Amino acid sequence: MSEAHLENGEPVVVVHDVCKEFHRDAITIPVLSGINLELKRGDYLALMGPSGSGKSTLLNLVAGLDRPTSGTVTVCGQRLESTSESKLARWRSRHIGFIFQLYNLIPVLTAFENVELPLTLTSLSRRERREHVEAALQVVGLSDRSHHYPRQLSGGQEQRVSIARAIATDPTLIVADEPTGDLDAKSAGEILDLMERLNREFHKTIIMVTHDPDAAARAKQIVHLQKGVLVEKTHAGQE
Amino acid sequence: MHTLFYIWRNLKRNKLRSTLTILSVGFSLALMTVLNGYMAMQGVWGKEAEKKHRIVVMNSQGFSGMLPISYVDRIRGTEGIKAATPYAWYGGNYKEEQMPFAQFGCDPKAAFDVWDEFSIAPQQLAEFQKTRNGCVVDRRLADKRGWKIGERIPLQGTFYRFNLDLVLCGMFDAPQSTDSLWFNWLYLDEGMREMNTPGTGNAGTIFARVSQAESMASVSQRIDERFASSDNPTRTQTEAAFAQMFTDMLGNVQAYIRNIGLAVVFSLSLVAANAMAMSMRERTTEIAVLKAIGFSRRRVLVTILGEACSITLLGGLLGIFIGCVCLELLHTLSSQIMLLSVFEMFGPWLVYLLATAAGIGLVSGIVPAVRAAQLSVIDGLRRVV
Repeated sequence: MSEAHLENGEPVVVVHDVCKEFHRDAITIPVLSGINLELKRGDYLALMGPSGSGKSTLLNLVAGLDRPTSGTVTVCGQRLESTSESKLARWRSRHIGFIFQLYNLIPVLTAFENVELPLTLTSLSRRERREHVEAALQVVGLSDRSHHYPRQLSGGQEQRVSIARAIATDPTLIVADEPTGDLDAKSAGEILDLMERLNREFHKTIIMVTHDPDAAARAKQIVHLQKGVLVEKTHAGQE
Repeated sequence: MHTLFYIWRNLKRNKLRSTLTILSVGFSLALMTVLNGYMAMQGVWGKEAEKKHRIVVMNSQGFSGMLPISYVDRIRGTEGIKAATPYAWYGGNYKEEQMPFAQFGCDPKAAFDVWDEFSIAPQQLAEFQKTRNGCVVDRRLADKRGWKIGERIPLQGTFYRFNLDLVLCGMFDAPQSTDSLWFNWLYLDEGMREMNTPGTGNAGTIFARVSQAESMASVSQRIDERFASSDNPTRTQTEAAFAQMFTDMLGNVQAYIRNIGLAVVFSLSLVAANAMAMSMRERTTEIAVLKAIGFSRRRVLVTILGEACSITLLGGLLGIFIGCVCLELLHTLSSQIMLLSVFEMFGPWLVYLLATAAGIGLVSGIVPAVRAAQLSVIDGLRRVV
């Protein structure tokens, strides 16, 4: 899939009639059923719903971390349900940026090295990698902390490094799982501002799982999931 | 290159655990280095001896049997023999030290013809030859003990009842340290006779130099045939075979050493595997993150295996270094136990030890590495993305 494909207005994410079941011994647990979803370049979607509603599972499917039981998931033109594990790993490194609730930075690497980590999977030269990392850290406003280890940063700063890591490879889609769930209100606000900026200025397509209605309100669209079914889709300002 | 960098950072993650694992591998490998080094030394000694055209004659019953001194002249008269000397192990104590260096009774007029690779100043050799209670020593031994020419060296007999009161006449240079002292065999024998003790006239062993390498087997055979019907039949062998005999004396000990080595390697693998497994358990989420951002299974596998091998290789290098220092120390303190310096016996056995260290790493890392490679990103993240 080429980026030109997306420039033509093709959707970044197409989830078509997706069902997902988990099996625990002889018991089958349906998690998602009949999900249809489409996101275009520059969309910013908040996934909401109670615990166990399947929002994280949906996010995993879109991020290429899991496969649907039935239906198709096409992201950046790539059919994910039929792609091998190794190809998916390569694909994720090029197209997906991850933001986790608990930041999940590598503690033995500095902020610079953490951001550089996904770039080591590319064919970029050392100098090019450095340029990318410096640009990403500048976007999140942490250029002066590049040589700090995660333990030397505050929670908000760690999450900003995590965002820098997510955007370093210039991915098409950013998936965020409760990015503000572990932060105080001020830091949470800063992170949401940053994500909004990524969407507005850099036209990044973002899917964010959140329990927080205020955080969700910063997205362009909000999707509610209940018992594995999409029950409501609203646009920002409509709630 | 970045993988190596990441491995290095991970080694420093839990410094105490890494250090303890490295030390446990290191000390065990040090023990193995000493044991394997000793066996390697026997091998190198044998190979070195092969280069010299020397044969060793002893009683067919072994060291305990009598080898009459008259045999020396008869061996000298054998066709193909260039020089021969009695070579009687004395094994005395020096001052308060028990057999601190090797002492041999020899024929001062023939010894340096038999060991013609040894060199000594002519005037010192002449002094040794004309002084009944004279002795010569390996220069390295003299330097170590601070002996000067004219020094009195008293030796108390342990095996022999006659005590020696020797005077240092000279120092010889040998290609390898021998840690030995040579004195006149006649001085010992005369002393024994004066004390009227049994065991006089015994050459102990006879070392002889053969003119041509090709004739060593036939000369040995001729000597043994010559004394076959005597009261004291002989067993003649090359110096290399003589050296091998000492290795063979260890017999099953070598097998024991190898088996102990294997047991050590096995238990070390378990220790290292436990450390790696603990490390991986603590980093489950981190590995899941690596896989989420695009690290392939193979890359994760290589990273974890690389980490395990780095730890054991560091331990191995440390152990081999410590082991070599111990061997060198042993050689410096007593060349009769450790005949050769470590520098003289570098060889495949060191590579084998290093490979053992790497093997411990592979064995200890394979299970955690495979489990990490197969880890489901979703399970690993606990809280899924």
